[in-house]
Amino acid sequence: MNGDLKIHATVHCDVLIIGAGGAALRCGAEILEKVPGASVYALTKVSHPQKSHTSTAQGGLAAVDPKDPLDAPIYHMFDTWKGSDCTADQNVVKLICESAWEQILWLENRGMHFSRDREGRLSKRTFGGHTRNFGESSVYRAVFEADRTGKGIMDTSWGETLKRGITFFNQCIAVELLLKDRRCGGCIAFQQKEGQFIRILAKATIIASGGSGQVFRVTTNCRQNTGDGLALVLQAGLPIMDPEAVQFHPTGIVGPGILASETLRSVGGILRNRDLEPFMVNYAPKMKELAPRDLVARAIESEIREGRGIVNPDHNIPHVWIDLRHLSDEVHEKQIPEVSSFFKRYVNLDTKKDLCPVRPSNHYHMGGIPTNQYGEVEDANQQVIGGLYAVGECAAASFHGFNRLGTNSILELITMGKLVAERVIDRVKGEPTRPDDSFRGDYFAARFAAYVQAVGSESVGALRNTMRTTMTEKVSVFRTEKSMTEAIEQLLELHERATRAPLTGRGLAGNQELLNRWELDNLLQVAMTISQAALHRKESRGAHFRDDYPVRQDAFNYHTLTSMNTFGAVEIGRREIDMSLFKAGGPHHEKFGYIERKY
Amino acid sequence: MKTTYDIELRIRRYDPDQDRTWVQSYRVEAGRIMRFVDLFRKINDEQDATLTWGSSCEHGQCGSCSVRVNGKPLLACELLVENAVASFKTTTFFIEPLPVAKVIRDLVIDTDQAYARVDQVKPYIITPKQPTAQNGAHQISPDELERYVDATRCINCFSCAAACISDHSTFLGPNAMLAAIVRVMDPREGEKRQRLDTIYNENGVYRCHSSQACTFVCPKGIDVAHFMAMAKQGAITVG
Ligand SMILES: Cc1cc2nc3c(=O)[nH]c(=O)nc-3n(C[C@H](O)[C@H](O)[C@H](O)COP(=O)(O)OP(=O)(O)OC[C@H]3O[C@@H](n4cnc5c(N)ncnc54)[C@H](O)[C@@H]3O)c2cc1C
Ligand code: SF4
Ligand code: FES
Repeated sequence: MNGDLKIHATVHCDVLIIGAGGAALRCGAEILEKVPGASVYALTKVSHPQKSHTSTAQGGLAAVDPKDPLDAPIYHMFDTWKGSDCTADQNVVKLICESAWEQILWLENRGMHFSRDREGRLSKRTFGGHTRNFGESSVYRAVFEADRTGKGIMDTSWGETLKRGITFFNQCIAVELLLKDRRCGGCIAFQQKEGQFIRILAKATIIASGGSGQVFRVTTNCRQNTGDGLALVLQAGLPIMDPEAVQFHPTGIVGPGILASETLRSVGGILRNRDLEPFMVNYAPKMKELAPRDLVARAIESEIREGRGIVNPDHNIPHVWIDLRHLSDEVHEKQIPEVSSFFKRYVNLDTKKDLCPVRPSNHYHMGGIPTNQYGEVEDANQQVIGGLYAVGECAAASFHGFNRLGTNSILELITMGKLVAERVIDRVKGEPTRPDDSFRGDYFAARFAAYVQAVGSESVGALRNTMRTTMTEKVSVFRTEKSMTEAIEQLLELHERATRAPLTGRGLAGNQELLNRWELDNLLQVAMTISQAALHRKESRGAHFRDDYPVRQDAFNYHTLTSMNTFGAVEIGRREIDMSLFKAGGPHHEKFGYIERKY
Repeated sequence: MKTTYDIELRIRRYDPDQDRTWVQSYRVEAGRIMRFVDLFRKINDEQDATLTWGSSCEHGQCGSCSVRVNGKPLLACELLVENAVASFKTTTFFIEPLPVAKVIRDLVIDTDQAYARVDQVKPYIITPKQPTAQNGAHQISPDELERYVDATRCINCFSCAAACISDHSTFLGPNAMLAAIVRVMDPREGEKRQRLDTIYNENGVYRCHSSQACTFVCPKGIDVAHFMAMAKQGAITVG
């Protein structure tokens, strides 16, 4: 068996992209457009790039049209800064907001099927937190493709990469980064179909591996979002930035976690607890159901914690109800048909007659692999690691700070995807030699051998479920020193028990069980950094809320850099928040100081 | 209301290490609103960690989880136990991989092989036209978009290809045809000739027998057969 754990082949390329979601493909397309004939390899865990998580994004992407007399990039920058609870990096905010429209045109010209207005121009819609004139009123800023904007981006950028000759490795999983002398030379990858490990050497390696939602029990994220990119970076001795900044959407549909849009509350849906009491009035007497996302999520979570939630034997996930029964047929049919159909299809409920089960659902991770504004990965001392880049949800150039605005994520994928590509092109052109055989891969064989040889009576599935429940109960919407300390102890125990979880099937080809075991280690590592960073941050900021420290504190005006060389032994460092817009002192610079996040 | 069901899943399995195919039966107690992907996971967690299946988004948006249940191609992440019992009128379900590509293990097929047909029709703009509007974008009227927008909703789950009665070794398949039809109708595409050649060549739409099986099974509710018929009638050429 161990003979199989050796490197089966070594391949060389100019650019290696770990991931084939929106960020990866936009980046790959740009490289191939500018350097035709470059060898670009993209790996993906899923069976085909189109199956990546980005394909499920719905709402739209924010971008200021330079021809719009009512909107301006500076307003978008302000909204993003305020939304981030003053923790985004302003150089990155400026860069992304200013290059947004150009990227919309890139997509449009390459065939994305944007929704159109009567004149045939791109339609725009409003979205939470996006305003004009520094919060004066909401603004039409999000372009969209019906309710499948992410799919449009994926189809378009996948098509472009295909057209220009990218090489895809599907169901191929990066399992170790090859690092030497502060330089990255590629990765070791596991080809799941064949059950073989290969070494991929590249002049530039870009991590675009997406989110970490599977750390939590209820999540809107796809099955493969197990935080692999973050784990690979931690295992390479590099830090993760702001892992504690995790966004929860207030109304995920119980049990599949699918998102039930905010529209439900804006059309008059009422949240009710076990006793059918409309409880929002106790938390936000004026705004009630229309209070901001994080506040509503906390209200729901409080009801559940205080025993007023509902538990359904179908899934045993405590929840509350959203009541839509009083709304007119017209509202059900014209204004919320999409979400109504989700309730019908996934929980067999009729929104006109039934109470619908919802609860806060893990949605987005603002933190990630720390990079500068060019997507270059930085170590704990903010020194660039040569040849290593990160982009997309796994990265934190810090456009979102501690709270992301809706429609800003897929905007980040396409803008940063392009900007990172420019940097990578420079490197590929300026680097005559390819990495040599001295980039070896030191850990993967021992690691996988341990999985294959493990004996004992623990079950990977049970351990994963316990971890996800622990994180959902102790480190989610509400956090306290007590709950997080308990979670950390639990994670240590689970990590230890995992060494005694044997595999039933030991053949490597198509072995999903083996992959689940490897993913469990990644999930535990990400969970540990989230918990430790959240424990360290004795304040509340954006999506990170501590019962015991409910107010934002200036003393924590920094990004957390979390490193972990041995499981559980987390070291916390800091990175300064970039305030270049404020410091530049230009018009409106005062809007970019530490302001209150009140809506 | 009944809340749990005693379900029997008879799953066609394949082990590449021994090149062995067999049918394995699992009994699971299932809540009424569990999806079939939840049942697979439950089997993994409680009975048999080796059972291998595919899924990604788990809410009907990516097309990774398609399988045949009692002969019908569908998305396992959309099929609720309660609905399956009602529509198939049984609590025993026979589950097989889609017959559109080689099986890798159990319910997982070689998607690369299946997608090769989509790649062949070039699912992108071959020769872009210059933007028409002054601000750098194209102007496409909503009516024009309306004619083909449904065909852009395809998630390449290959359910239609699995249900199609035409010969898989020759026909490129309904979903590949949709990808080609979209770009023939898209006013931004400058290269129509090559596209029409693909659609009307010997592996193209004339292989379609108009059984409408594609429309019947499409989980996105796309009237695939309608687009095939339009193509056969030559009603798809624009601009
Ligand atoms: C339901 C839902 C709706 C959303 N709607 C919106 C919206 O309207 N607007 C918005 O701005 N944002 C939205 N978001 C957020 C947004 O969709 C994501 O943040 C974004 O798609 C992430 O893109 P990505 O390219 O970074 O990663 P992904 O699209 O997740 O791609 C990651 C890729 O990396 C691969 N990968 C992972 N690990 C490995 C590994 N170890 N080896 C090899 N490959 C690997 C995966 O297979 C995949 O191909 C939504 C999210 C959800 C869940
Ligand atoms: S047309 Fe429908 S059934 Fe066919 S692949 Fe596309 S989504 Fe699936
Ligand atoms: S898993 Fe995406 S469609 Fe079923």
